[in-house]
Amino acid sequence: MRIVIAEDDALLREGLTLLLTARGFDLVAAVPTPEEFLAAVAEHRPDIAVVDVRMPPTFTDEGIRAAVQARRLHPPLAVLVLSAYVEQSFAADLLADGVGGIGYLLKERVGRLQEFLDALHRVVAGGTAIDPEVVAQLFTHQRAIDVMRPLSPREREVLALMAEGLGNTAIAERLFVTDKAVHKHIRNIFLKFDLHPTDQTDRRVAAVLRYLDSRTPSRP
Amino acid sequence: MRGVAISDNRGTSPRDVFEAVERLAGGLGTSLLALFTSAGLIVVAAASLAGVGLLLLPFMLSLVRLVAERERGRLNRWQYQVISPYADTRPTGWAARLRAAASDPATWRDLRWLASHASLGLLLGLAGVVLPIIAVRDASFPLWWWLLPIEEAGASLGFPVRTWPAVLAVSLMGISWAAILIGLGPAMARLQALPGVRLLRPHPSADLSQRIAQLTVTRASALQAHAAELRRIERALHDGTQNRIIGVAVLLGVARDAVVRDPAGAEAALERAQSAAEQALGELRTVIRGILPPVLEERGLAGALTSLAADCPVPCEVTVAELGHLPVAVETTAYFIAAEALTNTARHSRATTAAVSVNRVGDLLSVHVRDDGIGGAAVSAGSGLTGIRRRVEAHDGTITLTSPIGGPTVLEVELPCAS
Repeated sequence: MRIVIAEDDALLREGLTLLLTARGFDLVAAVPTPEEFLAAVAEHRPDIAVVDVRMPPTFTDEGIRAAVQARRLHPPLAVLVLSAYVEQSFAADLLADGVGGIGYLLKERVGRLQEFLDALHRVVAGGTAIDPEVVAQLFTHQRAIDVMRPLSPREREVLALMAEGLGNTAIAERLFVTDKAVHKHIRNIFLKFDLHPTDQTDRRVAAVLRYLDSRTPSRP
Repeated sequence: MRGVAISDNRGTSPRDVFEAVERLAGGLGTSLLALFTSAGLIVVAAASLAGVGLLLLPFMLSLVRLVAERERGRLNRWQYQVISPYADTRPTGWAARLRAAASDPATWRDLRWLASHASLGLLLGLAGVVLPIIAVRDASFPLWWWLLPIEEAGASLGFPVRTWPAVLAVSLMGISWAAILIGLGPAMARLQALPGVRLLRPHPSADLSQRIAQLTVTRASALQAHAAELRRIERALHDGTQNRIIGVAVLLGVARDAVVRDPAGAEAALERAQSAAEQALGELRTVIRGILPPVLEERGLAGALTSLAADCPVPCEVTVAELGHLPVAVETTAYFIAAEALTNTARHSRATTAAVSVNRVGDLLSVHVRDDGIGGAAVSAGSGLTGIRRRVEAHDGTITLTSPIGGPTVLEVELPCAS
């Protein structure tokens, strides 16, 4: 797996480099600015980019914008965004193209190595990996509650775990139910969100997107 | 502030009489200006009816302001404290100037004052100047009447005086002029000043609305300073401390991963994690010091300033008078002003010595920071000085910066500190 890292903090860049090379990943570039990141992606065509949200010059959302641009220029680039804080609109921005291969994790998750590596693999495989913290915050928002209203409590739980990026089996294990039951719940979610099998976009991603988008009524 | 009451129960001393005469004479000067300006205004107003005077109107109104400002200056010299009521903005263009003048209540109050001072003020001023002259002339009449040609003597009585009783009568009249002056002089002077004191000050409501406007501005800058401060703290915590701690978490993950496979690598990662944790603590201390220096709480303003001076690369002398109890906000502001000023001194001034002194007079805390550097500092030039200004304005204080090219630079700040 070929990886490009964009992270302005030297310590974290070093930590990520240590960690990924120790595990035998092919780390082709680790750069501190959005410009160098875009150049590195163009040059190396990695499988996945790991990008920090706040980067120079303004330290706001440069990383998100660079990631969105890199995905547009070099599809199907998978992107795993690392952030020091929870901001759902960033995740929704990334998912807006309706294509999978997106992750949004809090930075400290990198320390939980196995979970971090699982997330990397899931995102490269075209899935999603949304931080449980982001997912948890969704339920506190009125509009999210409105969007979720047609879903049963169990279906909401399933959708939340889908957003984190878990597969059917993993969801079944987490909820102590059978694979078949999970499959039924997911079918019901697609039905209630009006997502048909004929749609071009990945229905799992579309459902997650609907869920995330409900959290952000006014995106800039 | 001196009151405007006409009656005054104090006895009248010779000094009061001289002062009254001086004031009436000064008032005579401005009342003559008011008279000429009124005459000019009448001419221009009449010409305006024919159209041609309209062009001169803004000029005449400026002239009225000039005369009014002169009277304000005169009244201020006599401690009446008459501040200018005019709006700060000066529009350009004939129509805009006229519109602005017409909508400013101060213009109409100026015109009322002009009329009153050109009439009543003029008469009182003339009386004030003429009374002492004729009092002296008539009172001293017995000394020199015999020098006059026979038909000229006794002019103040209106008929020739040839006998001693008549001469004494003239002298008595002079004494009564003096008595009138002594009795009424101070009251006349106050009466002459009265229209100016009443009309040339900002209208009481304007005074309040100005104050409200000023408070709105200072409140806005206090909020702005507050927001900037929060942003600075957030940035420092996020880019420094938080990133260090995330680094610790990541490096601990690396170490755990390597502990069996590669013990030496794990040791190296733990070493890096430990130093990152220490860095995080160091940065946290810096942030805390920037919010509220612990030294201020532990050792008070004097101790905090002394340690500030000890850290300053430019040799710095600190003098702190007995300050009594100060509100924490004022103390903190005084500390940050000194800190910011000394930082500027160290960075830009090339000074060889600096001095900080803090004094308290009543409910006013003054902070002076001086250095012998190259000068040329300006509040607008450096964000540091702008920060000081915002902090000072938030306290309703005043700030004066003198920094000529070539130095020295002196920053004087006064902060109200009633607790």
